Amino acid sequence: MSVGHFLLRRLVVAVPVALGILFVTFMLVRIGDQDPVAMLAGPMADAPMLERIRAELMLDQPLLTQFWAYLQRLVQGDLGRSWQGNAPVTHEIAAHLPATLELVTLAVGLGALIGVPLGLRAAERPNGWFDQVSRFGSLFGFSLPTYWLGLMAIFVFFYLLGWAPAPMGRVSMMVTPPPPVTGSVLIDSLLAGNWEAARSAAEQLVLPVACFTIVATAPIIKHTRAIAIEVMGSDYIRYARACGFPRNLVRRIALRAALVPVITFVGSEFTSLLAAASLIEFVFAWGGLGHWGLNAILLGDFAAVQGYVLTLAIASVIVFALVDLAVMLLEPRAQARA
Amino acid sequence: MAHPRRVLLASVALLTSLGLLPVPAAAQDRTMVMAMVTTPRGFDPDIWVPGQIESSVNVYEGLTRFATRQGANGRPEVDPGRVEPHLAESWTVSEDGKEYVFRIRPGMMSPFGNELTSADVVWTFEKSNAQRRTGLFIRNVARIESVEAVSRYEVRFRLRDANRIFLSALTLHIPALFDSTEAKKHATAEDPFATRWLGSNTAGFGPYHVESVQPGQQAVFVVNRGYQLGQPFHTRVVWREVPSPATRVALVRTGQVHYAEQIPLQQIVDLRRDRRIRVESVAAPGSATVRMNPASPPFDDVRVRRAIAYATDYNAIGEAVFLGLGTRSRSMLNPPIPGAIDAYTYDTDYDRARALLAEAGHPNGLDITLEYSTNWWWEEPLALQMQASLARAGIRLTPKRIPATEMTARRAIRVWSLPMMTHLTSSFVPDPSYNMFLTAHSRGGSNVNGNNNPELDRLIDASVVERDDAKWLEMIAEAQRVQAESATFIETFLPGTHEVFVSCMEGFMWRPHNRLVWKDLACRR
Repeated sequence: MSVGHFLLRRLVVAVPVALGILFVTFMLVRIGDQDPVAMLAGPMADAPMLERIRAELMLDQPLLTQFWAYLQRLVQGDLGRSWQGNAPVTHEIAAHLPATLELVTLAVGLGALIGVPLGLRAAERPNGWFDQVSRFGSLFGFSLPTYWLGLMAIFVFFYLLGWAPAPMGRVSMMVTPPPPVTGSVLIDSLLAGNWEAARSAAEQLVLPVACFTIVATAPIIKHTRAIAIEVMGSDYIRYARACGFPRNLVRRIALRAALVPVITFVGSEFTSLLAAASLIEFVFAWGGLGHWGLNAILLGDFAAVQGYVLTLAIASVIVFALVDLAVMLLEPRAQARA
Repeated sequence: MAHPRRVLLASVALLTSLGLLPVPAAAQDRTMVMAMVTTPRGFDPDIWVPGQIESSVNVYEGLTRFATRQGANGRPEVDPGRVEPHLAESWTVSEDGKEYVFRIRPGMMSPFGNELTSADVVWTFEKSNAQRRTGLFIRNVARIESVEAVSRYEVRFRLRDANRIFLSALTLHIPALFDSTEAKKHATAEDPFATRWLGSNTAGFGPYHVESVQPGQQAVFVVNRGYQLGQPFHTRVVWREVPSPATRVALVRTGQVHYAEQIPLQQIVDLRRDRRIRVESVAAPGSATVRMNPASPPFDDVRVRRAIAYATDYNAIGEAVFLGLGTRSRSMLNPPIPGAIDAYTYDTDYDRARALLAEAGHPNGLDITLEYSTNWWWEEPLALQMQASLARAGIRLTPKRIPATEMTARRAIRVWSLPMMTHLTSSFVPDPSYNMFLTAHSRGGSNVNGNNNPELDRLIDASVVERDDAKWLEMIAEAQRVQAESATFIETFLPGTHEVFVSCMEGFMWRPHNRLVWKDLACRR
């Protein structure tokens, strides 16, 4: 099966999944307790004013009528307007998504680079000293609340030591930001040759990425270790050892066998962290999609919530498509099965 | 050979550019950085969205303003009893008090280079009429019947009744005085008042206007060079979104920002001891209350309401909830509102509470639910403290947290489906009649508990149109006593306003809208 054919099949499967997610989200936000009308009308609103705004927002219509109207706009690329942001939801997503992608990609990338070798090494000698240490480290990363970790990092490295820059967004106020191309301040600064902005963006990234990497690394170590232990105990690895293959060759064989489930797990980790970025973004004033989505949920900004969930769903579909593609390339049997 | 004067000038320019000589004050670009909860979600004063009021009060100013006076600490403070001209230079009033003609100060320019004229004032009120939101509410409260241009600089307001609220209402940023010449450029057939454009841009005659907004990151405001009523110290205001209060505290403590918004009270206690920080505290603007709907059993019995007032442990609330930083509320009106008296005389008395309950037919106590939300930080601790103190009089109170949006919807006028709730009594206009009307009159815009006391309504209505000061003050005092006797509001404490600046910041003056006015502030090291 060609890559194009594979991606087309993925797309066909993704459409009903996205529709289902949209329907569930659409209904959930509306049958909950939240009433954005009251929020929009302000504290001095009377009942007629509330009704007028409700009608303006079509919230007085039956739910299915509202959903149909939403779908009609959606196929034209219109996700509606954010009631609280006074802007089209597509603009808001475009403004916030790059910040989160930058953060999560770096954190998961670093997490994989650190976590996979540690997990593999720990699996070589289960319950050995290295395994014990890495398990403790993994448990530490699991147990720390992200919010607390961020606050402590700010307290120590910014407030006490003065090593980190002020946790106020993605680039220092004293620096002229680069013209947006990709949305990543770091990449855009490098593209523009604006070294001062690139340095500032890199400095701003250090603490939030470090905190998020700790969160991302812990489960990667744990899962890689579990997968690798299983692989190490398999017949073909035992056979390879029995044949007296060099240690590095055995490791390579084991890595190859473990890579498919590890990549799948890292992919799922990426999508889950994309949804969990809000707390780190909150602490570091990151202005990303996670915090924007969280605010939309708290403020009852229905169009924004739907846009947020749809973006996460699309991101998941893309990430898993990429994971499957990578698996196809690494594992010919998977291609044959497909 | 070079002329010595030219050499001197060139040397000065070189040294200045190298930062070795001070730059003249007028030429300096001074930036104030603020750590705020969220970037402004909109700028149209008619639409309540987060961050709107905080920016609008610095962009839009009124025809009138409250006068200032020397405060007890020697610093200027707002005198809520006196209104003086602002963007208008004077006004005349008819014999019956129902017609005002304002003469607009010539030369009041917007950042777009347009001069404020009567047409802008008329357009503003037409916009609020069309939008039917907060501006219309203010217009109705001030009993404005019509607004018409008399000449380029003269505008006539006709009122339905002579009233004391009108001049105070014109101090507000709602209805905002827009630069209609600029706004009309962005109007469309569907949106004749350019509300969409005004939602994401500013066009006022105040000291600042918005230059850029990056949602979730920052908004930048720059000074309106055409503003004629005193150029502000800061020419640029950078509004950074810093949602975490702990991060805001760290930023202001390290001097990275000049001001940090909405700092929790526990932190205020610490920050007051920090020499790098200036905390400005004012016992205003509102009172933390618990309100009962007099139409909803068991609160339809005044004895039950009074029993709750006596069973409330005010000292414990002051210490445990407001950490000793609040001020006990003694009326539905509190200073600095003129005419406020100590009408709410309830103090903790469990025996009296139990006796009143028995008299009302509840000798074994009763079960009630107090609904609260997260609109204000003190709501939950207050609800829990009320639960503990009422239990001592045999009242079993269940605190119930509800979403803020549900709270707003259920307490709306004529909905009134909350039997008992927490609420902050406050308003933008420190006029006693306006405040009482707003919060306690049966037709009041913030009558959240369905207050319905014909005697109180009569007194408030009469006070709104009373022009004799002595009679007016007596009516206001009597209204406060009537409300306290009805005990539909449990008055607890004024949480106060606690603004946190770096120590160099001077000039803070509390305003009735309870938002920071940037033009007041200067950083003097």
